[in-house]
Amino acid sequence: MGPCHGRVALVTGSSRGLGRVIAQKLSEAGADLVLNYRKAGGRSEAQARALAKELVERGSRAVAIQADISQKDAVATMFQEIAAQYGRLDILVLNAARAPFKKVGELLRRDLLELVENNYFSNVYCMQQALPLMQGRPGHVVFVSSLGSRFALPSYPLGSMKAAMEALVKQWAVELQDRQITVNGVTAGLLKTDSLMVLRQYWPGVERLPASAFVDLQDVAGVVLFLCTDAARSIRGQNIVVDNGLSNELLHPASAG
Amino acid sequence: MAESLISPDQIYREVQKAIADALQISEQKVEPDSSLIRDLAAESLDFIDINFRLEQRFNVEMPRKYFLEHVEELFGEGTAIDESGRLTEAAVTIWNARLGSAGPRVHAGMPLDDVPALVTPRTLVMIVGEILATCPATCPSCGKAAWAVADGSPITCGGCGAHAPLLAGDDVIRRWLEDFRARGGSVSRAS
Ligand SMILES: NC(=O)c1ccc[n+]([C@@H]2O[C@H](COP(=O)([O-])OP(=O)(O)OC[C@H]3O[C@@H](n4cnc5c(N)ncnc54)[C@H](OP(=O)(O)O)[C@@H]3O)[C@@H](O)[C@H]2O)c1
Ligand SMILES: [Zn+2]
Repeated sequence: MGPCHGRVALVTGSSRGLGRVIAQKLSEAGADLVLNYRKAGGRSEAQARALAKELVERGSRAVAIQADISQKDAVATMFQEIAAQYGRLDILVLNAARAPFKKVGELLRRDLLELVENNYFSNVYCMQQALPLMQGRPGHVVFVSSLGSRFALPSYPLGSMKAAMEALVKQWAVELQDRQITVNGVTAGLLKTDSLMVLRQYWPGVERLPASAFVDLQDVAGVVLFLCTDAARSIRGQNIVVDNGLSNELLHPASAG
Repeated sequence: MAESLISPDQIYREVQKAIADALQISEQKVEPDSSLIRDLAAESLDFIDINFRLEQRFNVEMPRKYFLEHVEELFGEGTAIDESGRLTEAAVTIWNARLGSAGPRVHAGMPLDDVPALVTPRTLVMIVGEILATCPATCPSCGKAAWAVADGSPITCGGCGAHAPLLAGDDVIRRWLEDFRARGGSVSRAS
């Protein structure tokens, strides 16, 4: 029996990319899954549904719920559905992210709203809705951050939202200390997901960096899983860097040129 | 002129191929005025993929931002898109000035979210053509006027082999807007 057996887990933004791998890992560890995605009617939805179907066929419970978590009402509706389907939540992984790639000096008010609504408000809405469903039992929350919280990356204002996220991790950890709900962050290094296609527009050649510059999605998901098990119950309010060592060196001879 | 080294027809064929390859559909399905989103089911990541293929093919940098985003950066937020995310009268005027009567049509009150669906092979050809047209008369490395295109490769100097230095797509749009302003064109917020 896996360490998450009998637990219900929501992973935001789990139709593709890292969220998808995290959802698979939690399911393998025995959790019942709520998958979430934003865009209705497209490939993302098809992928989320296919994953839900796959998990169900393997014998666990899983549903895919469309909800744009930047919208408070949509988050409330998603949690009503979770309450109706499962009646509880034990694990919350706040993985979804969406942001303009622009220099800070070029951000319009619309861009700023997109940033805070999708990467800050969204996660607070999810937490506020999740807590009643986590009542009375130990629980685990993991925020997915990036090295952008600490380092400037080209045209990546999302980094500032990740810094806010990492500060929130501490805040929530303290607020939920007495409730046995752990709150931590995983600060991921470079990942090979769809976002890399976006990133290479602003960072030419990023896709040709040596393999060691990237961190395996499985490795990040593995740490997220660990933080969602009772073995990690004394880890509180930490942001753990999982970057395959990328941020240890100021200069990377291998990647120069 | 360097720009005539690659004809609009040739650009079109490459655009058609980039779209077909990115979307994994047959080239026959791609028509000059197909809406990438509505007719060919492209999603936002596909746009990035298509642009990347064109960048590799022509050694250009496609614009990262939409035209109306540039308008707002230059003339001020609110000039092209109103509070509720819809196009203003001024946006329509400047759009028509840029795309002419053959371009896809917009109207005041149209949601900004509907604009990406106006991207067609024809608009991509226009953008690539504009970027190629920024090729200087002579090669900045060797001074020769010997631009050439071998089959399937970008514009290259016949004298020294250097790739033609071309303006980035975003700069082409910015320059157009600055010219527009210099010609007395203005975009202002409706009061
Ligand atoms: N990629 C990297 O190199 C990297 C590095 C470090 C950290 N990270 C972090 O890892 C996380 C996942 O990144 P990724 O690269 O896997 O992302 P991705 O491939 O872009 O996938 C994003 C996922 O989030 C969903 N999503 C976005 N906005 C949403 C919203 N408002 N409501 C609901 N769902 C939403 C998307 O759904 P739709 O497809 O329906 O929009 C999709 O499922 C993010 O927090 C990111 O910042 C990424
Ligand atoms: Zn030359």
